[in-house]
Amino acid sequence: MEGDRRTPSRQAQGLSDCPAASANACPAPWAVELRRVSFAYGASAEPALCEVTLKIEPGTMLGVVGASGAGKSTLVKTLNRLVPAFEAGRFEGEVRVGGRRLDGLRVCELAREVGMVFQDFEAQLFSTNVAHEVAFALEQFALARQEIARRIGPALSAVGLAGFERRDPTTLSGGEKQRLAIACALATEPAVLVLDEPTTDLDPQGRAEVFAAVRRLRGAGRTLIIVEHDLEELAVCDRLALLKEGRLTFEAPPAELFARPELVARCGLRLPDLAAVLKQLGIEEIARDVDEAEALVRGRYTLPGPAPAGGSPEGPAPGRAGQTKIGRPPLVEVRQLGLAYPASASEALSAVDLAVEAGEFVALVGKNGSGKSTLAKVLAGLLEPSRGRLLVDGKERSAAGRSHLKGDIGYVFQNPDHQIFAASVEEEIRFGPRNLGLSHRQTAERADQVLAAVGLDAVRQRDPFLLSKGERQRLAVAAVLALRPRLLILDEPTTGLDYREQRRMMALVAELNRQGIAIVMITHTPWLVADYARRVVLLDNGRKRFDGPVREFLGRPQMLAESAFGLPAATALSQRFGTTALSAGELVCWIRKHS
Amino acid sequence: MPIYLYIEGESWLHRLHPVVKVWALFAAFWSVYWVDQPLALVPLGLLMTVAAQAGGAWANFYRLRYLFAGVVFFTALSWMVFYRQGTPLIDTPLVRVSRASLLFGFGRGLKLAELLGTSVLFLSSTKIEEFGAGLTRLGVPYRVGFAITLAFRLVPLFIDSALTVVQAQRLRGYEFRRGGPLARMRRYVPVVVPVFMEALRKANAMAMALEARGFGAGGRPTSLIDRELRRSDRMAVALLGGLAVAYFLIYYAGYGAIRPD
Amino acid sequence: MKELGSMWQDSRMVVLCAISAALYAAVLVPFKVVPFIPGITELRPANAIPVVCSFLFGPAAAWGAAIGNLIGDFFGGVGPGDIFGFAGNLVYGYVPYKLWEIVASGRPPLPRSAADFLRYALVCLAASLLCADLIGWGDNMLALRPFGVLGNIIVVNNMLAALVLSPLLLLAVYPRVERGRLLYRDILGVAQRRPGGLMQAVGVVLLLCGELGAWLVGNLVSTGRLNLGLLPASLMRPPYDAAVALGVAPFLLAAVGGLALL
Repeated sequence: MEGDRRTPSRQAQGLSDCPAASANACPAPWAVELRRVSFAYGASAEPALCEVTLKIEPGTMLGVVGASGAGKSTLVKTLNRLVPAFEAGRFEGEVRVGGRRLDGLRVCELAREVGMVFQDFEAQLFSTNVAHEVAFALEQFALARQEIARRIGPALSAVGLAGFERRDPTTLSGGEKQRLAIACALATEPAVLVLDEPTTDLDPQGRAEVFAAVRRLRGAGRTLIIVEHDLEELAVCDRLALLKEGRLTFEAPPAELFARPELVARCGLRLPDLAAVLKQLGIEEIARDVDEAEALVRGRYTLPGPAPAGGSPEGPAPGRAGQTKIGRPPLVEVRQLGLAYPASASEALSAVDLAVEAGEFVALVGKNGSGKSTLAKVLAGLLEPSRGRLLVDGKERSAAGRSHLKGDIGYVFQNPDHQIFAASVEEEIRFGPRNLGLSHRQTAERADQVLAAVGLDAVRQRDPFLLSKGERQRLAVAAVLALRPRLLILDEPTTGLDYREQRRMMALVAELNRQGIAIVMITHTPWLVADYARRVVLLDNGRKRFDGPVREFLGRPQMLAESAFGLPAATALSQRFGTTALSAGELVCWIRKHS
Repeated sequence: MPIYLYIEGESWLHRLHPVVKVWALFAAFWSVYWVDQPLALVPLGLLMTVAAQAGGAWANFYRLRYLFAGVVFFTALSWMVFYRQGTPLIDTPLVRVSRASLLFGFGRGLKLAELLGTSVLFLSSTKIEEFGAGLTRLGVPYRVGFAITLAFRLVPLFIDSALTVVQAQRLRGYEFRRGGPLARMRRYVPVVVPVFMEALRKANAMAMALEARGFGAGGRPTSLIDRELRRSDRMAVALLGGLAVAYFLIYYAGYGAIRPD
Repeated sequence: MKELGSMWQDSRMVVLCAISAALYAAVLVPFKVVPFIPGITELRPANAIPVVCSFLFGPAAAWGAAIGNLIGDFFGGVGPGDIFGFAGNLVYGYVPYKLWEIVASGRPPLPRSAADFLRYALVCLAASLLCADLIGWGDNMLALRPFGVLGNIIVVNNMLAALVLSPLLLLAVYPRVERGRLLYRDILGVAQRRPGGLMQAVGVVLLLCGELGAWLVGNLVSTGRLNLGLLPASLMRPPYDAAVALGVAPFLLAAVGGLALL
């Protein structure tokens, strides 16, 4: 194991097997203790966990990090016996919670000691009413009705959901659902709360909500364990445990891990922006937020102050509708587009003008419910607008016939599993071209081409359901690419992927764009916009609020705040110095130049 | 996608104990069973109208108006094939229309419509959890009641996911409406398979989440909803009992049947 | 039939039951639930789901079919007939895997050869007939809908879905579920049944004769083509509610008794 585990705060660990080493007697056991725990799923020879030994002090917060498949979820599932009582396999070692050995206990018996929140928020909510949802576990333990009713309010308040008692969980946003799941776990008053990738499927707003709730839970004497592959949010943890291929590779306070970017990269993680900037500037200290980072940078470099308030004036959004390259109409264009859903009183889209030209890379951003997906579906021809015009190659859509549904405009849905059904990867790709009436030879040719393009050639005969999430996402792109679209619309293409897979996915999208395919990408992820898009369209309440270059977009903090679009940390830091950098590297160059 | 009929509210209909509501369903079924004569079905219809007004359920009746009309019409039609009594007005080998068959068919159609109306009232004012708690109170094992409520919750999720799959496959050039009825049925495969597989992916996660939340921790689970019957509940039970007896008396007195001649 | 009770002890089976039910209720709705004959039945390709789930999830699918149908009825209005709808769909989800264990023990229910397809079709027909018998009988007895209409529509609807759609779904789904170890045999640890046994043979004969007899008697009596001499003449008059109820009941008893012996 790498790294020094005996940090100043924990030197006692080497002297005693007890968290409070100064006392003669052992006043309290470790909150959680794993001794040489190994586990392999089913008959697999590859262990998912390998000889993990870990001790967690009561009342502390531990972040468990690592790439997909590193063993993070398996590790935390040993804490309530889901592994090995529920997931069959070979288990070795010993797990203790609150000093008690778990051998032979049932999962449900541990629910009052170890609360667990899972990644898939849809799969852990069982009721049609928030109060009933919180009551569910309490009912299982046969608590009296009055006691159940007493616990609901505080549990919901703890996660900021007071007043939601009568809401139907299906009407909540992803962040609210996940907070509800946390409230459900809290209601049983567990000593240990485990959050297993609670924000992987959430947008930045939902992530922020969940992490705000988690921060509120600290300090109540409860031990928190949070599994994540994004280090940015874990700076607040007491310690981080880094897993790689089932082994505990490093365990220390966050600052010590952030100080080792090569280890972070080797484990397939993304170093937080601020840590990257400081490291590249040769600053050894670690900043938890932009304020601290600014102070550290200014301590070393003399830099200008922020641009005066309103320095990035918020004038009218640059209008781009109807702009064309000489002699060529836009690939797809909407004018004064309006759309109202039958059951809704207000319009989902209102007077939207937008033109996308060949070869563009547009990021379509906005809050949940701002109309992004609706607009994208109108562009793809899936939704009929109530008002306005839709032009493809300058022709009214009616004149263009159904060609937009037959290959010209491709649409990759957020969840790749919403389109995959065939028995093999190759069959899946040939499905679309076959629907267009292409011959066997032609579909085979197209399959060959796109399989090579997305890097799935080696698995062409495999069952798509056996692929990893990242591979399935690339397969979904490939299946649409086989239709040879000139415009590819991607709805949140990186949701649920770890950093390495996100990079791989985006490298593919960027390459397709270089080959001339126009890209419209719906995303909530700030660094994706900064790193890949060249133009941003911001929707707000069904209206277009901004349409222009990325740097100009990121230079309007007020507008971004109102649209709940978090700046990349490097960009936020750069604005403290009166500039707008799109990445950590760019900021470092700028600082060196202007200091 | 709003597919359930429940309307949030605090009316007396909403506040009735779930067991009383199940009893109301039974009383209505019992009552219509004994009579075929359309006139005899009118009092129950009026009672339902009052309940719909009090329970704020009109929106659902309006929403389902075509279903109500269809139920009456087609049930009447189908009984004209089988009920071949009375002096024929129109006589064909398939359908025989007489005053008696018209009355009989209309009565049975009305009967089904009233049953439908009862269930609309029930669903407009009863949450799925209340239904589950009511079933448990009536002796249905807890786990069966839970599976029913869970299934109810999953239906809209799966429908949404099926709608997305339909869109995704359409964009890949797939046409669902090609070919005859059998060919069309086969064309469901690219939709059903993704929905099915997504459901299976969820199955494991759900079972894990259930166990992690104490499902099966032992003992008979309590319920946040379940409570003792109130005075209003008991009064409703008595009223419904009276209704059931009254309808049996209508039958017994011979006013409920259709006389062919 | 023991597993119909014991499966509830396993959380996975409870979830699979709910999932089977929800899939059954949900698959049809997006493709327009067009009432084939409002108040009587709809054209339901979704009827393929209970058969597919039956082979995959066994008893969980049987309960799932019953609950799924109940949920479907909630959209079209619940009524006393739903008790029979519940029972009919329970057997529609129960018979396929149960009979398949007997006629093709150990083989996956994938109709890849003509012989397997024939076995598969017979198993589905047995399930569809008993489902139709129970619902047709119950609804006619409750004076709601004639056996001669409902009993036949259900058989046709179920068989169309089971023969046209279910095999394709099974081919796509079964191997994947098997790999994910979510087959009921893997979850419940049920051993493969050994074929043969007198009780089993008696069970199969009773089931098949009972359900076929029920279907024939139900059809003939409800349309006035068969006069059951044993019953008083006052019952042998349209709408034949009591005559169908009494005439079909013994056959149904035999069929359900046979099922219990399997």
